Amino acid sequence: MDIPPTVIAVRRLTKEFRHWGRRLLALDRVDLEVHRGEVFGLLGANGAGKTTLVKILLGLARPTAGDVLVRGSSPRRPGTRRRIGYLPEGHRFPGYLTGDASLRLFGRLAGVPEKALDARIPELLELVGLGERRRDRVGRYSKGMTQRLGLACALLDEPDLLFLDEPTDGVDPVGRRHIRDILLQTREHGTTIFINSHLLSEVERTCDRVAILHEGRLVRQGTVQDLTAPSRRFRLRLADGQSMLPERLAEDGWRVVTNNGHLEIEVADLEALNRLVDRLRADRRLIAEISPVRTALEDVFIEVVEGEEHSPGSLENGSRTGVHGPGGDR
Amino acid sequence: MKTWALIVDTWREALARYTLLGFLAVSSLFLLILTFALNLDIVDGALAAGTLFGKAFDLPGKGPAIDTVVVTGQSVFAGMLYVLGVFLAVFATGSQVPNLQHRGTVDLYVTRPIGRTHLLLGRFLGAATLVTANLLFLCGGVFVVISLKTHVWNARFLAASGLILTVFLSYLGFMYLIGVLTSSTPLSIMLPYALYLLSLPLAAHDRVAAAMDSRLAASTIHTLYWVFPKTAEIGRDLTTYVLGKATPAFVPLATTVMFGAACLAVAVVAFNRKNF
Ligand SMILES: Nc1ncnc2c1ncn2[C@@H]1O[C@H](COP(=O)(O)OP(=O)(O)OP(=O)(O)O)[C@@H](O)[C@H]1O
Ligand SMILES: [Mg+2]
Repeated sequence: MDIPPTVIAVRRLTKEFRHWGRRLLALDRVDLEVHRGEVFGLLGANGAGKTTLVKILLGLARPTAGDVLVRGSSPRRPGTRRRIGYLPEGHRFPGYLTGDASLRLFGRLAGVPEKALDARIPELLELVGLGERRRDRVGRYSKGMTQRLGLACALLDEPDLLFLDEPTDGVDPVGRRHIRDILLQTREHGTTIFINSHLLSEVERTCDRVAILHEGRLVRQGTVQDLTAPSRRFRLRLADGQSMLPERLAEDGWRVVTNNGHLEIEVADLEALNRLVDRLRADRRLIAEISPVRTALEDVFIEVVEGEEHSPGSLENGSRTGVHGPGGDR
Repeated sequence: MKTWALIVDTWREALARYTLLGFLAVSSLFLLILTFALNLDIVDGALAAGTLFGKAFDLPGKGPAIDTVVVTGQSVFAGMLYVLGVFLAVFATGSQVPNLQHRGTVDLYVTRPIGRTHLLLGRFLGAATLVTANLLFLCGGVFVVISLKTHVWNARFLAASGLILTVFLSYLGFMYLIGVLTSSTPLSIMLPYALYLLSLPLAAHDRVAAAMDSRLAASTIHTLYWVFPKTAEIGRDLTTYVLGKATPAFVPLATTVMFGAACLAVAVVAFNRKNF
């Protein structure tokens, strides 16, 4: 399979903030690539540097060191930002504009022709569920409504690259699903999407590839599949009425935990797993299910972030076993 | 189109924040007072009697030619408008750049495919059109009221509003610089006023410098004089011009414009370099 062209290329990107002699390293030698058509999620705790990275990718801030290329050129050049949508974190539309007028202003600044705006603005406001409030002043919108307007604004230029910084911040659950649907729909048109988030379940559902940023360093990246792929942990269920005491398995050297009626077993490799099956069958136990345990992204995230304090992170993904099964225990 | 959008945006903002309305209201008040306060009886092209603010003045015999009276009055008004106009205009435009640079708002503007220079200058142009319209209303209104009442049409008075506008635009350049550097509306309003006041005594820089003890202080005074807007001189030139006595001197005007242009240029550079 050939790799689609690189849309975002970040090499050894470092950003240091200096304030009255105090220094703060917000990004530390970050390397990153995002390819066309991908939905990329950037994860990280508060203050990890996600927003800073996006701001640099949009030319809002300048890197202290390193290279940043968006579609092959510097984001500081206005031309590079054509057909890029951006939903900033905590954005504030000028309160004196109506929803309609805001989109017109920013559409015009993006160079979208007037005719196209006439057609597109009502359509977009309808899409994000603001059709009825389009003539209200933005200053009177609720938080979630402002966020929806921001999304409409980001989509105005028919972007082929979309940056979303905490897109569902302040949006109710129905609205979140709605936003997710809009994103998936946008992606159908081949738009590359870059999402900043700490809502892991959401990222897990939307993104193809994720990276985890921790204190300015990129500590993990890979597909959601890879990151959540397990593990040498398997869930094992015996047929009804049958039981196998975990203590007995533990005596034999297996690492076992019980988890509401299932056994969860950690094995070194597939060979070991099969030895376990032999052992159970020798005891004439009836096995009903064996499945690999997928770690939720949240667990990966917490593990990585906590693990970082002890050991330097590696960019390798978790090892994969050859067994596939109906994963997911979230 | 982008420039147009920025100009429209400036007007919208001024309208919504009541700065435009405030400006027009104060101007209208000024015009109304003038209309009712000024009452002149003219006999044979000469001023026979009149009232100003209800105080009658009779002029025995054949009074001064009406033209002279009107033109003198206009030159006084021009001086007043020079202060009032700039004062109001600074007030009306002080929040422009700080509002633009508001966190969360600036992100929306600056990430559009438009250069930051274009963005800032577009807003500047917007402010310039706004203030031009306001000054035209104010000065034009005074001109019309006086002219209708006296039937003396002195076009120099109108031309004087061009001078007021030029001085204001220089101050606007300075305000943009303050706005870009500090993002503070109070400072963007206070510092131009301070500059205005400071630049008045500098007109007498020769005498002030002569009174200084050290040479350093003296040359500082001279330098400040040359760098800052020549507010006092232009004001003086303005009134004599309306009187029809002289055309404004070139050097004070040119250096004032240069001050504004330099401030604006630095503001543009700083805006371009800024991290948001
Ligand atoms: N303009 C600035 N000046 C100084 N420090 C800054 C500035 N912007 C960000 N920082 C610092 O850089 C670090 C990263 O901030 P950033 O906003 O990128 O975090 P984040 O990952 O987006 O966090 P969150 O999830 O809370 O949005 C923080 O420590 C923050 O305080
Ligand atoms: Mg952030």
